[in-house]
Amino acid sequence: MGIGYAAIAIKGGLNPFETVGMSILVYAGAGQIIAASMIVNGATIINIVLTSFVVNFRYFIMNTVVFNKVTESNTKLNILSAHFVVDECFALFSLMDESSIWTYLGVSIIPYLSWVLGAIIGVSVLNMLPVIVTNSFNISLYALFIAILIPNLKRSKTITLMVIITGILNYLLQFVIGNWSLIVATLIGAIIGTYIVDDKELDLEVEKEIINQGTVKEENHE
Amino acid sequence: MNNIILLIVLIAIVTFIPRLIPAIFVNKLDFGVKAKKFLNLLPFTALAALICPGVLTVDTKIWYVGLVGAVLAGVLSWKKVPLGAIVIITVTALIIFYTIIGFLL
Repeated sequence: MGIGYAAIAIKGGLNPFETVGMSILVYAGAGQIIAASMIVNGATIINIVLTSFVVNFRYFIMNTVVFNKVTESNTKLNILSAHFVVDECFALFSLMDESSIWTYLGVSIIPYLSWVLGAIIGVSVLNMLPVIVTNSFNISLYALFIAILIPNLKRSKTITLMVIITGILNYLLQFVIGNWSLIVATLIGAIIGTYIVDDKELDLEVEKEIINQGTVKEENHE
Repeated sequence: MNNIILLIVLIAIVTFIPRLIPAIFVNKLDFGVKAKKFLNLLPFTALAALICPGVLTVDTKIWYVGLVGAVLAGVLSWKKVPLGAIVIITVTALIIFYTIIGFLL
């Protein structure tokens, strides 16, 4: 996934230094890929920044859960570890019996390092590949999105309905408001979702999805 | 170039602030059930909006290239193929697909 991000970032015109720098400074898996693909599509800065804020806002919830659980900590240590929350370490730490801040730092630093390393490998390998291969890499991002979505759609009819509504909405809105349709459709889709999505299905799915992503990611790093 | 560095810094800031606030104000934050549900649904709708219609612009000249890749990725995911394998197989399939079209056109 880190390598896939690097492929899109390079295509968006970022140099290798900027590509890896973004992984270090921003550290948001899907959020970075979204930002990079918006750069490819030539979206405005304000548009990209606002979309990043909305998409990455879930870390607010995750850190609320994490820091409510953490023991043996103080505000300084909390601030130090705040940057490292992502879906994987959030899921792991929420399910663990341990609650020390040091355990959390240990659990969260590993995905961080492998994400940065993935970007470094990405930018070094991509320079050596022929054009037809890098062109085909365009699909990697969508393959990833689809692979994340399908297991959830398979289990929940109401999430499927919400996803289809959002897709159609985005398709229609782009003719009216251009690149802004992404953020508008995302927000409206989720608002509709709060009314139509089955609560039981959502709770199960989110947890399962996070756990699955964690194990898949570990396999990838071997 | 400077624009890109500015952009990265801005994205870093708007990503870090929501991470930072709970670290400082522990135990003072609580959400309603509806707000939590809304925030949990955002990643799904964001992905949906990214796929449709973006996947049709994978190749700006031949629109169905993206559709072929998307259908393949969907089928593989339905068959529970691991995430990393789906990406590798789909990319490989497109390289083959491009080579075949190259001969036909």
